Amino acid sequence: MTAPVLSLNAVDKTFGSGAKAVHAVRALDMEVEPGEIVALLGSSGCGKTSTLRMIAGFEEVTAGSVKIAGREVNQLAPAKRNVAMAFEGYSLYPPLTVAQNIGFALKSQRLARAEIDRRVAEIAELLEIESILGRYPSSISGGQQQRASLGRALIRDAALHLLDEPMGQLEPQLRTLLRGRIKHFLKERGFTAILVTHDQTEANALADRIAVMEEGVLQQFAPPAVLKERPANLFTGTFIGEPPMNVFPIKVGTEGEAIVLSLSDDVTFRYPQESFAAPVCASLTSERAFVLGVRPQAVKRGSEGAPGRVAANQWLGDQTHIVTDFAGGTLISVEHDRAALTKGEEIRVTFEAQDLHFFDAGDGSAVSHGGEPA
Amino acid sequence: MEHTSALETWLRRVALTLVVVFFMFPIFWIFLMSFQTNETILSIPPSIAFEPTISNYQALITGRLDTQAGTLEIDFLNNLWNSVILSSLSVALALVLGVPAAYAFARHKFRGSEDIAFTLLSFRFAPPLLVLLPLTLYFQDIGLADTYFGLIWVYQLICLPLILWIVRGYFEDVPVDIEHAYRIAGHSWWSTFRKIALPLAAPGIAAAGLLAFIFAWNNFIFALVLASADKQPVTVGALAFVTASGIQYGQVAAAIILSIAPTLALALYAQRYLVEGLSLGAVKG
Amino acid sequence: MAALTLNNITKRFKSETVLDGVSLEVGEGETLVLFGPSGAGKTVLLRLIAGVIDPEEGEILIHGRDVGDVAPEQRGVGMAFQNFALFPHMSALQNIASPLAAKKASESAIGEAVTKIARLLKIEHVLDHAPRALSNGQKQRTALARALVGSPSILLLDDPLRNVDAKLRYEMRLELPRLLAAQQASVIYVTQDYKEAMALGDRIAVMAGGEFRQIGPPEAIYLSPMSIEIARLFGDPTINLLEVTPEADSQGAFARLSGSRVPLESGLAPAVGRDCVLGVRPESLGFVDGASEGAVPVVIEAETPLNEKIVTLALTKAGREILMSRPAGTQGPSEGEAFIAADKAEILLFDRESGLRIEAAAANVGVTA
Repeated sequence: MTAPVLSLNAVDKTFGSGAKAVHAVRALDMEVEPGEIVALLGSSGCGKTSTLRMIAGFEEVTAGSVKIAGREVNQLAPAKRNVAMAFEGYSLYPPLTVAQNIGFALKSQRLARAEIDRRVAEIAELLEIESILGRYPSSISGGQQQRASLGRALIRDAALHLLDEPMGQLEPQLRTLLRGRIKHFLKERGFTAILVTHDQTEANALADRIAVMEEGVLQQFAPPAVLKERPANLFTGTFIGEPPMNVFPIKVGTEGEAIVLSLSDDVTFRYPQESFAAPVCASLTSERAFVLGVRPQAVKRGSEGAPGRVAANQWLGDQTHIVTDFAGGTLISVEHDRAALTKGEEIRVTFEAQDLHFFDAGDGSAVSHGGEPA
Repeated sequence: MEHTSALETWLRRVALTLVVVFFMFPIFWIFLMSFQTNETILSIPPSIAFEPTISNYQALITGRLDTQAGTLEIDFLNNLWNSVILSSLSVALALVLGVPAAYAFARHKFRGSEDIAFTLLSFRFAPPLLVLLPLTLYFQDIGLADTYFGLIWVYQLICLPLILWIVRGYFEDVPVDIEHAYRIAGHSWWSTFRKIALPLAAPGIAAAGLLAFIFAWNNFIFALVLASADKQPVTVGALAFVTASGIQYGQVAAAIILSIAPTLALALYAQRYLVEGLSLGAVKG
Repeated sequence: MAALTLNNITKRFKSETVLDGVSLEVGEGETLVLFGPSGAGKTVLLRLIAGVIDPEEGEILIHGRDVGDVAPEQRGVGMAFQNFALFPHMSALQNIASPLAAKKASESAIGEAVTKIARLLKIEHVLDHAPRALSNGQKQRTALARALVGSPSILLLDDPLRNVDAKLRYEMRLELPRLLAAQQASVIYVTQDYKEAMALGDRIAVMAGGEFRQIGPPEAIYLSPMSIEIARLFGDPTINLLEVTPEADSQGAFARLSGSRVPLESGLAPAVGRDCVLGVRPESLGFVDGASEGAVPVVIEAETPLNEKIVTLALTKAGREILMSRPAGTQGPSEGEAFIAADKAEILLFDRESGLRIEAAAANVGVTA
């Protein structure tokens, strides 16, 4: 097996010092394999951008080590790290045309003129910016600048491609199209890329693995499907998924052979014990407090089950989001067809045992997913 | 990130030191001079080892200057007081007139508003001597020559454009949405001006006021021509140290130290607000 | 009587016409979404209603009263701004209280009302914070609370979810309808996100170039867009648009795609022979057997997951890109060659030159509505 392209070892980043110090990244360990696309996902201020900037070399590492292709680069200037970066903001060189901006790195590599032109044209076609190649950055829109900046990074054969919110400024229509193309492009060339985004749609669409960050701490680093099906803790569980996972604090009891989950006084669900693996049963009945999580897509509406009252029925063209007052809280469910429900209508819902996620109410760590231990 | 070698760090420090010495040395030297007698100041080579004396300050405060040619009466403290009165009242008037005007120029673009604003600024470009001669004649005719009021009026040529232009920039930086939000919340434009625009531009107003104060304080030519001995500020008063028997360097130095002290103290005090003003820029959230 | 009426509003900035004679009525308690790309004039329209700028022509009526000469503070509207526009030198509490303070409400009444709205928006614990100490989500909720607290009869929301994280945006989108319903105000909601528009709007007014291009309930706009321009604005991934020239044979009208015969609604027969654009939404397309009617051969290029959906990028023989989507968890080929087709009721036809949708003739009204 080849060495990881990037390895972060106990990386810490602190801004400022003393009482005003901000601990942006805490003890981050992470390895990125060759050819992998990794997304750093989190809300603003979670440390994802600081992490990317430390990898690029724009930010000093407070503690720990950053290795690119096996070589420690902590003290190396950005230009010497063999990384290509696309910036979120507008970072094009104003006196150069879009084409010159994109070809800039190649020119300094002393590539033949014809070869540069060919590769610029290829990238421009990929990003739909052929028509603005001759224009200057000041005369193009924010979305076009962002694509040019992306092109400038993608054209290079770097060890690592760093993309900071690469599509934030683009129109939604173009974004969907470009996601597919960029993924295809990166995979075809075997590039290793790290993408920073707060948009999980983007992370899911592009990344092989997603690193979910919150308050400077890596919460979970796993492929999208694992994040969805086996979230490591309550944070990841409720952060990943659109709409977010429904969560309810529950009391767990037993009635003969059945496990009883009480969400509120009027909402209880009974499951036969064999729905859960033995260790899960043991922990569930261990007098601890739990939080139950159910994905909106897993909520089953029918004639049986616990009652809820429809608060909103939002049809989005290709799916329907239903908001229900349920068990003293709110239940969100998603259906793929239009639902003929009006506000105030009563519905009944059930959850299947295989769709249940249990979390410890204290530290939020996952206890069980779909009946299996976490 | 700082990827600097030891040499780079060292060179950077040397460069910084040179800059600091270049700017601070004259002040430092004047400070030393103010504690020396004329003889030690003029000795060659100059030396920083000397017997400090406060005679220069004594002379300034008592107003009696003993020279070889005899005793000279200098009302330095009165000059200092004049400076304070003239500068602070000028700035106060300029703020009262300039801040609302700056707000109007920032928020209401009407036909010719740019031209008017620029004309006001252009007062700063004209050499003062250009207006001084006719002004002197007018002032003598209408009895404004050698009055505080007349001087303060003329000082508006210095203060008003400065305040108008700086404060206008600060008002323009207050997002108009914030003012709109306050009005939609049910407040009149006047209360919006007082409760939103003024507080948010306050650091800018303070900065402009401070700058205007320093410019007014340092003004020489208007006061020289338009003020007599009992109305003249320190800048003009310092001329008295050029006596028939030579220049009284020690007293000049002491006078300079005394006269820059207020502006320096003010600048140090206001520095806090200026920095705060910059960080308030994060209004847009 | 309508809560808000706009009659022929025209607004110009210097020589540029930002709004070109727009008219609109918003009913009591209705939520109308102004949707369109940036620069369409949405925000300008909100500002005109709020009274912070004035129109060159036309009149604005609030509950039947012409408010042309009424100052913003007397129009009885509430507004939340895209950039929040919180007063930076006041605490969250003072921010929210400002509309009540303007009405000279008593201290206790203010305290009560602020606490109530703050609890509803879950920001009670940050009421004494200055805006700069709030997270983006809290800023946005504070701004919303400030707009709501005075119970205005007209509520103007200028893209209030634009500057918050994707997750918060989701939560608020699901929470807002309830909040707005409790207010019983007429709401004008500006957004650039079609999902927000469809989720929140009783009606959507699609704006572009300073005009309303289509006004109607979400289903009318999604299913029967008036033009290519509007069809492209709704849906993620976007609608597939393919140039075709419909033909007809003994079995009726059809379009030819990659050599396949794609049947069209009989009501679309008038389009035969015209230069058209065929529009089909990605979720309307499915994988089919090569022998079935209307099956188009494609090569699958890439597959990406998107919001609980799987999006497939496929290429026709002619190299045209087609996006298809299906619910996550459902099966489908992820590479190689395949055949795709759509239900003919879900195929839209647009005139290529004008971009306008060709409506099915009367006999088939039921299927397109």
